[in-house]
Amino acid sequence: MRIKLNSIFVDDQSKALSFYTEILGFVPSQDIPVGEFRWLTVRSPEGGETELALEPNANPAAKEYQEALFVQGIPLTAFEVADVKAEFQKLRAQGVEFTTEPMQAGPVWIAVFSDTCGNLIQIYEPPEA
Amino acid sequence: MITQSMLVRLHRARQQLAQIEEPSPPLSMIAQGASLSLSHFIRRFTAVFGETPHQFRTRIRLKRAKELLALGEGSVTDVCMSVGFSSLGSFSWLFARHFGEPPSFYRRRFYPSIERLGLTPSDFAPECMSLMVSAWATPQFSRSDFI
Repeated sequence: MRIKLNSIFVDDQSKALSFYTEILGFVPSQDIPVGEFRWLTVRSPEGGETELALEPNANPAAKEYQEALFVQGIPLTAFEVADVKAEFQKLRAQGVEFTTEPMQAGPVWIAVFSDTCGNLIQIYEPPEA
Repeated sequence: MITQSMLVRLHRARQQLAQIEEPSPPLSMIAQGASLSLSHFIRRFTAVFGETPHQFRTRIRLKRAKELLALGEGSVTDVCMSVGFSSLGSFSWLFARHFGEPPSFYRRRFYPSIERLGLTPSDFAPECMSLMVSAWATPQFSRSDFI
């Protein structure tokens, strides 16, 4: 078994694709229409084989889960970056709203922002090896 | 920086905007409920949710209209009114601009097959893995293409 797919709920797939590619800089991967929705994935331009599916939150259970985490300020997932502070400056300049500015959690630096699709996303800088 | 309290207030405002079955309060009142000036409310909401409060409300109404049309519930005018639009003309125009065809065309295209298949609203709410399965089952990816 391999872990090659992760998914997050989004409130609108087109809006999500714009944010995840134009603002976060991910690369569109699969985009297959399925009725009213799309099987939509992006991947990192920095390598790695894992794809992230941008999944519609049309199911009420998904919506409830997403909203509950959002109001509690809990990130839905996390992406690794080389430099949290640099990433924070870059994203903030593009209008991204942060709920947690870069802070140190033990040996790890983290920050949390809103992905404009109803989620909070954490970025983290792993400790230097 | 956006505080936890601001996050909760913006979320509550968003839930209010998504209430389409009742007459919707004016934006100024929703902003007031979030303890923000109207301009500040619009700016923060847009930064956090990627669309203005007005765009959000319109998107939610049109999405609901789509479901009602597909399920054959009421006339196009009934659908227009029940999702909170007061003018059939502007509803049809907005619907066509968002989805590429007027509401009456959409109904004619979708309703017959939905009725035949006996689908329910939950069928419009797929989840990730079922989408994946359906996507790869579409003809363009079927095995026969590769033989």
